Amino acid sequence: MDLLDLAIYVLPPYVVATLAFGVAYRLSRYLFLWKRGYSAPRRARPIGKLLVGLVVTFLDPLVQAAKKRKSDFVGGLIALHILGVIPLIFLLSQHVAMFSYWIPLYSLLKPFAIPSSITSASQYFFANVLPASEMGWVFTNSVWGPLTLILNGDLLAILAIIGVSYKLGDKLVRLYHRLRHVRAGDFFDLALLLSILVTGFLATHHLPSPDVTTYRFMLGLHILLAELLVALLPFTKFWHFVFGYWYGKLHEWYELKFNRGSL
Amino acid sequence: MSWEGYNYEDVRRAAEETTSHLTPVSLHFLENCVSCALCEVNCPYTPVGEEYGPVSKAEPLRNIYRGKVNILPRLFPWLFGAKLPKTKEELDKWVDLAYHCTNCGLCYITCPFGIHSGEMIKTLRGFLAKTGRIPSLLKLMVDAETSGMFAENPGFRGLWEDVIRKTLEVANVEFDRKGAKYLYMPSLAEAMITPGAIPATARILSKLGLNWTMPRNPLSIRAPIGSLAGDDESVRVVAKRIYDYIKSIGAEYVVFSDGGYPYTFFRFDLPRIVGEEPSFKVVHVVELLVDALREGKVKFKQTQERITWHSPCKMGRFGGLIEEPVEVLSSISQNFVKLKSHGLFSKCCGGGGSIACIVPPTQEFMEKVMGIPLKVSENEKAFLDKLYRDMLIAGREKVQEIKESGASTVVTACIGCIHTLGFTTRAYDVKVTLKTLAEVVAEALD
Ligand code: SF4
Ligand code: SF4
Repeated sequence: MDLLDLAIYVLPPYVVATLAFGVAYRLSRYLFLWKRGYSAPRRARPIGKLLVGLVVTFLDPLVQAAKKRKSDFVGGLIALHILGVIPLIFLLSQHVAMFSYWIPLYSLLKPFAIPSSITSASQYFFANVLPASEMGWVFTNSVWGPLTLILNGDLLAILAIIGVSYKLGDKLVRLYHRLRHVRAGDFFDLALLLSILVTGFLATHHLPSPDVTTYRFMLGLHILLAELLVALLPFTKFWHFVFGYWYGKLHEWYELKFNRGSL
Repeated sequence: MSWEGYNYEDVRRAAEETTSHLTPVSLHFLENCVSCALCEVNCPYTPVGEEYGPVSKAEPLRNIYRGKVNILPRLFPWLFGAKLPKTKEELDKWVDLAYHCTNCGLCYITCPFGIHSGEMIKTLRGFLAKTGRIPSLLKLMVDAETSGMFAENPGFRGLWEDVIRKTLEVANVEFDRKGAKYLYMPSLAEAMITPGAIPATARILSKLGLNWTMPRNPLSIRAPIGSLAGDDESVRVVAKRIYDYIKSIGAEYVVFSDGGYPYTFFRFDLPRIVGEEPSFKVVHVVELLVDALREGKVKFKQTQERITWHSPCKMGRFGGLIEEPVEVLSSISQNFVKLKSHGLFSKCCGGGGSIACIVPPTQEFMEKVMGIPLKVSENEKAFLDKLYRDMLIAGREKVQEIKESGASTVVTACIGCIHTLGFTTRAYDVKVTLKTLAEVVAEALD
């Protein structure tokens, strides 16, 4: 059994079990700590304004970043999150196929799948070469149309790698400035994400060498590292996209907008 | 325990107590920070130095928390940043960080994860207080307020009596009158910093024809001042005393003219602290004025003066009263102008959270008022001198906004803001008149 077999056929149940345990552990802490307290009467505000306030609560940090920390906005938010890992994880065609295998309902997202490379789209749109295979048609005729020139695994992976590298660089500078909030976990998480992106990119391109053994190793490593991330998700700051982000912003909206009427 | 001392046992015990009251929200603040540092962009203290960014200032509390609550950091503290201050110097550094925060909440709404670093820094102050590290002046005031001794100080008494006399000149008030519908709650700190606001509010309440009263004697220095030092026990004692007084009057509304933390404390925090749903409603005088304006019950003399409104963090961001003062002030001045950061993201004056109350010039002023010379160690003096310089840096952006607005009068409703803006506008040579909302309104009453 090689790494790929191990990652695909052996580890998934353990990964899911660790994830489930972690999620239950972290959520239960919030539930157990909850105590009914006495609170002041809320300040009445029109429901429409409160709903707009809800959306604005989620947008505010993005606007602040765009205005006041442009490097983070471009590197951290656009490259790393919005164009990088989010579409890559959820919409890259290989990932859609894999998720659909585990969760049949996921196949509903197939029309939105993003091709792994620019090749078919560029040939179709620039050189007017018709796709030779059925598969090629799927991508050139996808809902993304000419957007696949940008929305493809290669480009997105490069953007995500740039984004993660930017973040790593930023942490290193902060470490050099002896800022106390920089911690070992930050480096571990970013290094793990970077390794997943790089191994995924290498596997897709059959690098560093085209033989099957190398390919299986690289793809196996990519999946294994991704599984490590999933298993560690509740124990690391990757938890932010599952829970922290939603809970934090909703609580802020509830406290400031809904309860105190600060709109 | 003293400012100078260091005792690891005290530190350890303080850490134990500090982590014993987690709530889902504080757990979220402690655990869900991704250390992206976006919160830095709006913190008034970041311009003083990157180390004063919110995430860095809140990190000591996380250092305490990780070592007490999580298993792996207990086993491998060095790997997970779980540590307590090991030396006096380290403890001093934590104090320095904790007192470079006004709890203005700008970090809270800037953070993509809704993490209120200011609230954590306040908890950190509580930890430091338990190790003996409270700035001397703040400690003196907390103790005087908790014990009730402040009411006996001749200096304080003199200021209060002066204000009472001026109040009686403009309003026919019967003090401590049981059964009054509105109870106005001025504080001793208002008598000290904005003495004009108390008679002005009395005038407004009378003009509105309300059935109101106010205490003959101050019940606190300024809300429970212990909340600024993270001293929960003192907060409970003082809050209970004031709560019982309010109940003894049986008022339906409790009115504040100080829109700093007393307003939000009584409006939003009191029920949790006394463990009861209060039978009264807490309002700021601006809420009464807005209602009266909308119902046509009050009219103002118009002025052409260019005035602006500085929104106190507690009254605006944390109290929801953002547009109400604008409504009132623009019905007084046709030249009312909003500051650049007006709104939810209104920039902090830089001196809240007790900072402006403990810096050396305030200390001198307080020593004069109280007639008590306060001895501080060389170490604490150096800390306070630096804090004063840094406060002026933290307040620079607000002063710049005021300057750009072209206003000749800056109106606000928090004594901390008035006090700080006094320092900062002078330091940057911006010549404006600072007034409380109540004073501006009282002057404009027909
Ligand atoms: S913005 Fe929020 S998540 Fe980011 S470092 Fe600051 S507190 Fe942490
Ligand atoms: S509460 Fe205000 S002063 Fe304190 S860290 Fe947050 S932004 Fe800075």
